[in-house]
Amino acid sequence: MANKNVGAVMVVGGGIAGIGAALDLADSGYFVYLVEKSPGIGGTMAQLDKTFPTNDCAMCILSPKLVECGRHLNIELLTLSEVTSVTGSAGDFTVEVLKRARYIDPDKCIACGSCTEKCPRKADSEFDAGMGKRKAAYIKYAQTVPLKYVIDGSQCIYIQKGRCKACEKFCPTGAINFEDKDETLTFHVGSVILAPGFSTFDPKPFDFFGYGRIPDLVTSLEYERLLSANGPCMGHLVRPSDHREPKKIAWIQCVGSRSTNRCNNTYCSSVCCMYALKQALVTSEHLTGGNAELSIFYMDMRSHGKEFERVYETAKQKGVRFVRARPHTILPGRSDLGLSMVYATEQGEQINESFDMAILSVGLEAPPDAQNICKMLGIEQNKFRFVKTSCLDPVKTSREGIYATGVITGPKDIPQAVVESSAAAAQSARSLADVRGTLAKKKQYPPELDVLGQDPRIGVFVCSCGINIAGTVDVKAVTEYAKTLPGVVFAENNLFTCSTDTQKLISQIIRENNLNRVVIAACTPRTHEPMFQDTLKESGLNGYLVEMANIRNQNSWVHQSEPQKATAKAKKQVAMAVAQVAGSRPLANITVEVVPRALVVGGGLAGLVTSLTLADQGFETVLVEKEQKLGGNALHINTTWQGEPVGGFLADLIKKVENHPKISVSKQTSILSATGSVGHFSTSISVNGQSSSVDHGIAVFATGGQESRPEEYLYGQDSRVHTHLEFDALLAGGDAVDKAQSFAFIQCVGSREPQRPYCSRVCCTHTVKGAIAVRKKNPDSSVFVFYRDIRTYGEREDLYTEARNLGVIFVRYSLDSKPQVFVEDGALYIKAMDHVLQMPIQLEVDHLVLAAAIVPRQENQGLVDLYKCGLNADGFLNEAHPKLRPVDMSVEGLFIAGLCHYPKPVEESIAQAQAAASRAAVVLSKKTLMLSGKISKHNRDICMSCLACFRACPYGSPFIDKDGRVSHNEVKCTGCGICAGVCPAKAFQVENYRDDQILAMVDSYTKDLWENAPAR
Amino acid sequence: MIVGKQKPIDDIWEMISGYQKVLVFGCNTCVAVCHQGGNKEAEILASLLRMRATQEGAGIQIKNGGIERQCEHEFFESARDDIEWADAVLSLACGVGVQFIAGKYPAKVALPGLDTLFMGDVQAPGLLTEACQGCGKCILHLTAGICPISRCAKRIMNGPCGGSTKGKCEINKELDCAWQLILDRLEALGRLDEYERVIPVKDWSTERAGGPRKLVMDKEAS
Repeated sequence: MANKNVGAVMVVGGGIAGIGAALDLADSGYFVYLVEKSPGIGGTMAQLDKTFPTNDCAMCILSPKLVECGRHLNIELLTLSEVTSVTGSAGDFTVEVLKRARYIDPDKCIACGSCTEKCPRKADSEFDAGMGKRKAAYIKYAQTVPLKYVIDGSQCIYIQKGRCKACEKFCPTGAINFEDKDETLTFHVGSVILAPGFSTFDPKPFDFFGYGRIPDLVTSLEYERLLSANGPCMGHLVRPSDHREPKKIAWIQCVGSRSTNRCNNTYCSSVCCMYALKQALVTSEHLTGGNAELSIFYMDMRSHGKEFERVYETAKQKGVRFVRARPHTILPGRSDLGLSMVYATEQGEQINESFDMAILSVGLEAPPDAQNICKMLGIEQNKFRFVKTSCLDPVKTSREGIYATGVITGPKDIPQAVVESSAAAAQSARSLADVRGTLAKKKQYPPELDVLGQDPRIGVFVCSCGINIAGTVDVKAVTEYAKTLPGVVFAENNLFTCSTDTQKLISQIIRENNLNRVVIAACTPRTHEPMFQDTLKESGLNGYLVEMANIRNQNSWVHQSEPQKATAKAKKQVAMAVAQVAGSRPLANITVEVVPRALVVGGGLAGLVTSLTLADQGFETVLVEKEQKLGGNALHINTTWQGEPVGGFLADLIKKVENHPKISVSKQTSILSATGSVGHFSTSISVNGQSSSVDHGIAVFATGGQESRPEEYLYGQDSRVHTHLEFDALLAGGDAVDKAQSFAFIQCVGSREPQRPYCSRVCCTHTVKGAIAVRKKNPDSSVFVFYRDIRTYGEREDLYTEARNLGVIFVRYSLDSKPQVFVEDGALYIKAMDHVLQMPIQLEVDHLVLAAAIVPRQENQGLVDLYKCGLNADGFLNEAHPKLRPVDMSVEGLFIAGLCHYPKPVEESIAQAQAAASRAAVVLSKKTLMLSGKISKHNRDICMSCLACFRACPYGSPFIDKDGRVSHNEVKCTGCGICAGVCPAKAFQVENYRDDQILAMVDSYTKDLWENAPAR
Repeated sequence: MIVGKQKPIDDIWEMISGYQKVLVFGCNTCVAVCHQGGNKEAEILASLLRMRATQEGAGIQIKNGGIERQCEHEFFESARDDIEWADAVLSLACGVGVQFIAGKYPAKVALPGLDTLFMGDVQAPGLLTEACQGCGKCILHLTAGICPISRCAKRIMNGPCGGSTKGKCEINKELDCAWQLILDRLEALGRLDEYERVIPVKDWSTERAGGPRKLVMDKEAS
């Protein structure tokens, strides 16, 4: 290598995909510049109300990630910034970034909100998708990171007209800077990850939708804002026209997707079916009365992800109406209230129906500047302007050292974007393995003071949070009250306790007053506790000696109309926090030495990719495979959906893995037992009957899945009936296809049935690929596909279109009238109802291909028993969180890739395998792991071994020891406190949440009540 | 172990009203394992009662305490001051403990905080079932390890009665017929011939019918 690599990476785009890549890299030894065009990170996910399939609040799960990015020592946020040029080559790029003027000095801004309050200029809020207003001086949203205000120069009256400066007058810290100028910054990085996201399809130019003219017709993103608690109607859903609750609501699917005539977006946007289902389900929760009439107008329902089909079934059960139609004319209702639309039913009847409100399920598009970005970076795009990638290296762009993740490479949902972001991090780290840790910073703290045995000297800091708290709670009175509490030697009120200035002030006060405990009465510890812990550590105190009283989220925000009671409650909250912290003890973090070795279980495509991605980063890897041969299912796959041949790629991959000095491959191997936890697992394996033991820091499960053996449609009884993989073999060799006249495919064989309620995701694409191959090879043949919903999601939709153009005939069936397959006089027949003719049809076919379900392997249960990880109801291994932790398992240090997680095509398996390597590298790149000291401690002397903890602990940390009594493995403990809750002997106590502290809190709460209580 | 169930808080509140100083007193053995009357439960209950006192403006002082077992003199030493302070002791022990306090401290009022239920086992977390009635003469060697005294409603000794239907008892469709269980188990053990043996009429004098019982161990053994 001529140039020396640079141990820093630039991530372009601060949405969830960019954030994921940035955190993975920053956590595994690289310095990251995170470039975001808007004033704050979070992207589209921050705008969403809930997320499918779990209906988790989007902001609640995203916000901790935002905070982590904002606080990370090895992430530099560059907001209001755009990359303008990238020169140099992989390993050493020079990147120029245009950083636009903020007009507010972020070092001085304490986010008090005065500028926004005084700013006279209103503009449409981009964050609220135009459904609400913001000022020219504003923040994107309350939880935005960085929490720094910005002035929109294009709207600001002073900047545009030279008069106003109201914000400057009222800013308490002099942060307004109208002299601020755009600047160009230069950075050196080893690689670039592109994650600029997407824009939603704009229906305005297409007048038949009536969008823009009909007030009660909104896009799905606008509807998210209407539903959202931090949106323009604060979660109380009303329609735009008359601000009344809509009762009858319609969703129109495929607006700007699967659309050849009206726009060129012939692809499927992959996410709209699921978000419409989610919105419909969430809508009924938002409306009072519960008599909502919800209808979804769709073409094919595409619920092809893990647990998605169950959401579809739930929606059907809850009375959501599904209409297979594409409304063609939408007209405003009388007095512009509501709307009416015309659609044709499947029976050919034309119906005109009125609704209170309708939502256009708009598709995803490459952002408008995608063209410029790609041109500037010198990377290729595909015909839809998405960044061109290969199925065999799904995050690699056409320029070496530049990777892409998220919707910029094609429509996808959040979990897939998160998977790809980790994959991009892995590929970056792989190319920069030699410079890991060279630019990453490490924080140093002063030595810790010994406060054990000292009487508590508590300092209380009461935050005004601008007007957030002080607007409702009398913070001065709370501060004065705090001074009277036992152990408190100092109390003061701050405008913003979390501001950087205040941190310095707190440090100074701690030293001057010899404080040994601190209470912060402000907001939630979820976002802010780590920061205050850090402030204590910088002041020489143990970080666990701080407690927070949440007088904002749990008080001022919910008691705005009752300020007196709110103040009384705030006093109680502070008193309780003081009582708790008085009993807090300095805690030591647990350190675990990391065994620098990975165990990869399964030598199929996913396992091979994970192994190679880890080994190329220098991590020793043990790959175990139960069969004699590596390759798994991929050995039987001819090509990817994009037509890339799999065979050569796989052979090359196997060769690389088998010859890699860092990989030891162990075939015909099974797992016997396992012990340990993150950082130091020990697994005993049996190789050809010989048992041995492997110590490893992490494990990746890539045990695969398999094509099921159908039990219907004469499979196994007639040699003309095949599964997909069997038919692929026929296609690949011999003349069986050329000789035959007619072919049929039946979809959903064993999938989406009551006994196996999930969609196998890959079969629709597999079928259309097969049908195309047949028609091309044998143009005189006839090909029929019997299907329920065609689910060629994303750009795979083009294959479906191509198949239809080639004359493949698609016949839809429903679960209660499945096709019948029979043999008569030696001929193979299929009988079914044709949905277009509305008549039964009967065909004679030479070959029948069954799209057999992809099923999990039985071995998964064994892994669950040994490693205590989770399995879903269908038998697939479970991820820690379906949205934001799609590669981690619930047990720390275990990761998941490929079909054992859920059926998925080659490109998604590869991405997840690379992602698993990235997540694993976060652990393996460290010599030691620091685990929280806030865990449960076990006192074996007073333990009665009643086994309540043993039965209740979800992490398996209590165990029956060699004496037959209960002991505790602290490394597995997360401090959740369930054991302490159930232990009748109080042998378990969570550090700093001990019972004596809780009781002291209860007593501090009841004390005044007691004193003020009227005598009996 | 001895299984009990804490009385409803309203009943307890009514019981302690009228006293000035109440000690909520845990017993940290059997009733602690069944999560009803241990020292921790005493702490929780005392806290609840203090809140109630505050809410109702009642001038009752409530303390909590507890010892390892309320059925042995020696353990009470550590609780002497607490008991001295109180004018009523709300014992969370089984009936044995409550009576032990009443007997040991003639000047104090002993109140039961628990309903003592039975001697039982922990089938699953939160599920305790009765398995022994202390009849004084164990016959489990004759009945395949399943006790017809505690588990048959009629406590009969030689096979099921006419009320046994499809393996269930006539008093409750959920309840297994103990004799069906005995038969099934004998069969599984290949010892069905033992069922032929007639068990003689049970001597109930060793049970409660013979009056309160007593065990006197010889000096060396105790």
